[in-house]
Amino acid sequence: MSLAAEAFVSQMAAAEPWPENATLYQPLKEDQILLSDCASSLAVQAYLRMCGLPVQVVCRANAEYMSPSGKIPFIHVGNQVVSELGPIVQFTKAKGHSLSDGLDDVQRAEMKAYMELVNNMLLTAELYIQWCDEATAAEISRPRYSSPYSWPLSRILSYQKQWEVRRKINAIGWGGKTLEQVYEDVSQCCQALSQRLGTQPYFFNKQPTELDALVFGHLFTILTTRLTNSELAERIKSYSNLLSFCRRIEQTYFEDKSS
Amino acid sequence: MGTVHARSLDPLPMHGPELGVHADDMEAPETEHGPKQEVLENKDVVVQRVHIDGLGRTKEDFLTCEIAEVFRAGNLIDVMRRSHDARQKLLRLGIFRKVEVVIDTSRGEHALPNGLDVTFEVTELRRVTGSYNTMVGNNEGSMVRFEPQIWTCHCGISVSIMILLLRTGEGPDPHVLSLQVLGLKLPNVFGRAEKLTFQFSYGTKETSYGLSFFKPQPGRFERNVSVSLYKVTGQFPWSSLRETDRGVSAELSFPVWTTRHTVKWEGVWRELGCLARTASFAVRQESGHSLKSSLSHAMVVDTRNSSILPRRGGLLKIHQELAGYTGGDASFLKEDFELQLNKTLFWDSVLSASLWGGLLLPIGDKPTNIADRFYLGGPTSIRGFSMYSMGPQSEGDFLGGEAYWAGGLHLYTPLPFRPGRASFGDLFRTHFFLNAGNLCNLSYGEGPQAHLKKLAECIRWSYGLGLVLRLGNIARLELNYCIPMGVQSGDRICDGVQFGAGIRFL
Repeated sequence: MSLAAEAFVSQMAAAEPWPENATLYQPLKEDQILLSDCASSLAVQAYLRMCGLPVQVVCRANAEYMSPSGKIPFIHVGNQVVSELGPIVQFTKAKGHSLSDGLDDVQRAEMKAYMELVNNMLLTAELYIQWCDEATAAEISRPRYSSPYSWPLSRILSYQKQWEVRRKINAIGWGGKTLEQVYEDVSQCCQALSQRLGTQPYFFNKQPTELDALVFGHLFTILTTRLTNSELAERIKSYSNLLSFCRRIEQTYFEDKSS
Repeated sequence: MGTVHARSLDPLPMHGPELGVHADDMEAPETEHGPKQEVLENKDVVVQRVHIDGLGRTKEDFLTCEIAEVFRAGNLIDVMRRSHDARQKLLRLGIFRKVEVVIDTSRGEHALPNGLDVTFEVTELRRVTGSYNTMVGNNEGSMVRFEPQIWTCHCGISVSIMILLLRTGEGPDPHVLSLQVLGLKLPNVFGRAEKLTFQFSYGTKETSYGLSFFKPQPGRFERNVSVSLYKVTGQFPWSSLRETDRGVSAELSFPVWTTRHTVKWEGVWRELGCLARTASFAVRQESGHSLKSSLSHAMVVDTRNSSILPRRGGLLKIHQELAGYTGGDASFLKEDFELQLNKTLFWDSVLSASLWGGLLLPIGDKPTNIADRFYLGGPTSIRGFSMYSMGPQSEGDFLGGEAYWAGGLHLYTPLPFRPGRASFGDLFRTHFFLNAGNLCNLSYGEGPQAHLKKLAECIRWSYGLGLVLRLGNIARLELNYCIPMGVQSGDRICDGVQFGAGIRFL
């Protein structure tokens, strides 16, 4: 978000308290949502629960197009619409709720660095596996993405999305990587996270921050989503402290979930 | 068009040198019955040969039906009249630039003493005609839609006319936009009056293009088939909505007695988006892609003498559209009608009454789409209100309604100082108008009585006077002073002076 837009959002947001009917929008859970979107959505849900802010999750087939930035998820609070974790954190901060207030500057910089790492590595790897690996794309991603639409629109939209993601992946230089290399990158990322986490309950002190929410969102989704092969999940399972971290957050914040 | 003057009143010799009579210069038989003219009328002639000179790529067999009537003529005046009719028929095919008629006595071996040869000398249109226009204006919202049958302007200028909804200078921040329109027309592509048209329009905010192919049935020009492919982008600031349509349509048009029917199948991929970040959530919810595949039927009865500022006659147009049974996401039944009656009163003034109405019924449990609903208000419908700014709305964005009706009563008079016929001032009219209408959503649990009651509540209406300028035979400009009444909360009005340009006015 640009500086001016951020200032505008903060000013608007600070005016009102968090309403009861705040809603989070994501694609249809059963048939449509893909791994990367599900991870991002879960991260935002975890963050809001950690802040103690109630939010209702609504599934819409056109959630991606409703979003002002085109990315999932987005929240509708009062008459504001904010999408993606970064801006949502800013937005809640303007309303007076924040998880990273207790951190000093060094820690905050470190937190931002690790969040960048997760976004650049884990998220990109998820996108790569979904759309650049032809087997996964043909069997899972394209059918799921286009499920709400009728033929021939379903074909057009799913191929359009695939080309768009592939173009982006090539632009950041991952176009030449093989699946094995991507798995390696994921392993390295998990190793870094595992080392940082160590034996602590959360990444920074005893309180969760937005980094915890982000890591939980991605790891939990990877562990619980069925892909064409379970290589990705296996790589994560080899880091036991990450597994217990996920389980801890699930039990603390999501135990009222029915599933 | 159609009034012709006799070149001379001398009797026309039946034998002798070549007689070139131009149908344009001939007057239809009048009452003067001098002895010499009586001779002509009573004299039997036989048309022995009718042929067409100057054909290049046009196939001769296609034209035989148009000129067949000439053979049946009994006397000379009849020959001239039928040739004139045949000339009109040839011109309406849209493949000839000029048609001239030459009537001569028969020559050759089998020539009868009272035989005639009729020759149509034609000049075909060029293979490709192009046009390039730049339109500049205060366009806050324009949607370009392709209607292939309204391509050529009757003035004879080969301007490709598109239906533009212009909203001029009413908003808070009007800015000048320009639209470059390139048109390419290939008349008579395969020799039987098929027409291929390509249009491309490029503007500061939108790009649209369309390709259309038209084929009449040989011998019956009124029955024709048209196929078109298009991509159209439009912006609707009154709803904070942006729409891109990519579609293909096939249309069959045929006359039945005095009515004209059109049956059309259309498949459109619609993409909706928010125009601004401040769009209301109701409009944001409609963003995304949808596919509409619909069958529609339209019936038109038009007895007016002109489509712009008619002096007499009436128009009835009934249109229905059924979507969803041939695929696609959208599923609805849409009905709308248009009725207009005109009558000339004393002193050259014309009284005109019109009524529009429509209904949109969703089929199934999905709600209707904002792109399918009706909109009302503006200089082309209920004057005094801002463009399409009436009815259900959410946070300032107008969402359209599922049922509407609108009526108008106009009195057109020539300009007060009467500049005289056939001058520029003749294109202007002053008009006094009264418009009324309503637009609302229906809840389909209730019966038709409740719906009628709902449409009768909260009627918006307006009255005023203004100036109308006629543009060719297609469009008109209006400058009105309006007083809106019955304004409901949420409607946006434009009281005072309002300018409007368009093709279809209430």
